[in-house]
Amino acid sequence: MNALPDPFAGAPDEALLVAYANGDGQAARYLTARLLPRILAQATRMLGNQTEAEDVAQDAMMRLWKIAPDWRQGEAQVSTWVYRVVSNLCTDRLRKRRGGVTLDQVAEPLDATPSVTAQIQTQARMTALSDALAQLPERQAQAVSLRHLEGLANPQIAQIMDISVRSVESLIARGKRALTELMAGRKAELGYDDDEPE
Amino acid sequence: MTMTNPNENMLDDLFAQARATAPAPSDDLMARVLADADAMLPCQPAAVAPQMGLWARLLDMIGGWPSVSGLAAATVAGVWVGVAPPSTVEDLTATMIGDEVSISLFSADLMLGAGALNDG
Repeated sequence: MNALPDPFAGAPDEALLVAYANGDGQAARYLTARLLPRILAQATRMLGNQTEAEDVAQDAMMRLWKIAPDWRQGEAQVSTWVYRVVSNLCTDRLRKRRGGVTLDQVAEPLDATPSVTAQIQTQARMTALSDALAQLPERQAQAVSLRHLEGLANPQIAQIMDISVRSVESLIARGKRALTELMAGRKAELGYDDDEPE
Repeated sequence: MTMTNPNENMLDDLFAQARATAPAPSDDLMARVLADADAMLPCQPAAVAPQMGLWARLLDMIGGWPSVSGLAAATVAGVWVGVAPPSTVEDLTATMIGDEVSISLFSADLMLGAGALNDG
C-alpha cells in the first residue's frame, strides 16, 4: 500500500471516514494505517499487555466503522473520538482487572542475558504501572494516562473527557498523588532502590 | 516551593518509559481490522422499488385517492348539470348553438318498429 501514492494525502481523517461511509473500501485501508498505530500505542501504555491492547485496538476500530454512516461532520474530530473510545475501553478492562490477579507472573528467561533482563524489567514496570492505574477511580486513571502517557495538553484532555480544564487539572493532581503512593511500595521490586536512594 | 520526591521521580520515569512504548501493529492485527472494515463497509442502497399493480399505478398517475374523490365529485356535478341544467346553462347553449335541440332516447321510429314486431 505504501508503494502507491496516497489518494487521501492531506485529507483530514474525517474525509476518509466519510468516504468509507460512502462505500469506499480503500479509505478504510488508509484510515487504518493512520489511526491503528496510535490506538495500539495508547492501549498498550494503559494496559501494559500486548494481547489485551490488540483486542482493544480492534474493538475501537470496529466502533469507528460502525459509527461511520452516522458520523456528524464538523462536530468532533476523529482523533478526539478515538482517544475517548480507547480510554473508555481500557478503563473497562482495568476495572475487570481490579481485585484480580496482578500480572506479575513474567516468565523467567532460560538465558537471562542483560538485554533480556532489562526487557523483562521494563515489562514488569509497565505492568505494575497499569495495575496501579487500575486501582484509581476511572476518571482519574483516564486523565492521568492522557496527560502523562499520551502527553496531551489539558484543554485537549478536557475535550476528550467532556469536562472543564479545571476538572482535568484536579483529576490529574489527585490521580498522580494516588499513583505515587501505590507505586512507593514497589520500588525495590521494580529496580528503583539502587538508582535513587532515599 | 518544590521538593523532589523520590517516589514522584520514579513515577515520572515510569511515565517516560511508557511513552517510549509504541509497538507497531502486527500484520495479523492489521488484517483483522481490515476484515472488520470490509465486513461493515456500508453498501450503496439498492434502489429497487416495489412492483406496483395496474390500479396502484393508475391511482399514482392521477395523484392518489384525493384526486379520485375530486374526480368523483366533478362527475356527479356533471351528471346533475346534464339532468337538470340551470337556466343560465340553457341560455348559454341556445346562444352558442342557436336552437334548442332535443333528442329523444325513445324515437317514434324505434317505437313503431317495436310495434310492428309486436303486430307481426
